[in-house]
Amino acid sequence: MTNKPRVSAWQHYRILLGKDLRREFRTREMLTSMGIYTLLVLVIFGTALVQAAEKVDILQMSGGLFWALIVFTSLLGLNRSFAYEKEDGALEGVLLVPLDRSVIFLSKLTANLLFLLVIEVIAIPLFFVFFLSGLPLQPTLPLALGPLLVGTIGIAGIGTLLATITINTRGKDVLLALLFVPLIFPLLYACVSATTLAICASPALYDIYPAAMALAIGYDVVMILVSWLLYDFVVSA
Amino acid sequence: MDSQPSRLNALALPLVIVGGALVIVAFILVFTVTPLVSGEAATNGFLEINGQYITNKLLLSQKIFYFHMPAAVVSMLALLFTAIYGALFLKTRNSAYDLRARTATEISLVFVLMTMVTGLAWTRYDWGVWWTWEPRLTTYFILMLMVFGYFILRTAVSDPERRAVYSSVFGIIVFINVPICFMVTRLIPSSVHPVIFRTDSGLPPLMLIPLLIGVAGFGCIAFALYRQRLRTRQIEQRIETLKLHLDELSLEG
Repeated sequence: MTNKPRVSAWQHYRILLGKDLRREFRTREMLTSMGIYTLLVLVIFGTALVQAAEKVDILQMSGGLFWALIVFTSLLGLNRSFAYEKEDGALEGVLLVPLDRSVIFLSKLTANLLFLLVIEVIAIPLFFVFFLSGLPLQPTLPLALGPLLVGTIGIAGIGTLLATITINTRGKDVLLALLFVPLIFPLLYACVSATTLAICASPALYDIYPAAMALAIGYDVVMILVSWLLYDFVVSA
Repeated sequence: MDSQPSRLNALALPLVIVGGALVIVAFILVFTVTPLVSGEAATNGFLEINGQYITNKLLLSQKIFYFHMPAAVVSMLALLFTAIYGALFLKTRNSAYDLRARTATEISLVFVLMTMVTGLAWTRYDWGVWWTWEPRLTTYFILMLMVFGYFILRTAVSDPERRAVYSSVFGIIVFINVPICFMVTRLIPSSVHPVIFRTDSGLPPLMLIPLLIGVAGFGCIAFALYRQRLRTRQIEQRIETLKLHLDELSLEG
């Protein structure tokens, strides 16, 4: 045993992450479905607002709408991210390797985070073209990137844990939404408020934005730590 | 752990009587001794009396508070036990802890529903709407959804060991999520609805005493219900085991 080359946790992490990315690069399954889904949600938003477009303050609403888009799209992606692990018993294969289970969590989290970020890079310009073109852009707009990043990390973190749970249940798609949406609520609330403040350059920006960001970051830290600690139980069950 | 019936079971009946009595005492105190509290006038936001706008009036609906808050406190306590028993299960893998966690969550659900119903009555009569995204209401609504989620998760997993692990993990996360929910909704004001706060701190004794009696009463009732429910479940399990033994015996015979 002793003279075998030891594989470090970092190498495990890189191998597992590389596997997820390579698979996605070859099949483009998740990014295609998530990207098209994003477009469809935008069409639904457009239809829902078509009667009100002249009267509502779209700038005020756009932060909330954008986060609704992110939540729906991430639900789709999170479901897919474990579906293929289950299909050919791939997860069992990974579990046979003597590695720290939390490494699986971190690699899955990173993969989900990267896919979500790619989708956001596609979704943001689309969102601007469809809903915000011609509207005055505020100088504080770049501040909206803060909640976007923090929120996406949180969604990927808690989503990875919940997707691992729901993959082994009946009616997994619905169940993931049912567990995910209430748990993500505080993060969503903080991120929507921070994003809206930045988009509207609201006078309350400098009062509330730091508090909202601090809460969102606190949520991320607490939830990812807890998920990381509990992941071993979930994935081995 | 569950082979011998616990001595705590004997406490169920006396506790439910004591709890009931305490709640009745609190009820009588609230409507006799405790003074009325003035608040925003119901439904319109103001009342017009003799050409003058009166924005304050004494609220009878504030009495809801003395039942609303104890129910909320007890539901949170029950969730704390869900999390503790969940952690104990993950540590020991003893299914008796899972049974306790599940029973505690059931008790929590009863009190969460009670909190929601009294909360809706309050918003209707004091604020004039059935629903508003007020921090505490929102937190409880989310909490209720998470407790529903706990039970739906349980029914969606067929393997008992796996079900116990998943629900323990979910119970722990729910318990951690609730204070975060509350902090977020409280510290970040929404722009649409003003956040309405009452200064609950420094309640005068005539309000505090019935409140505490109410908390103690609901606490007793919740514990009694918990023991009773747990005992029923344990007896059910023993009957199942006995049936299995009987089947084996009849097959051998």
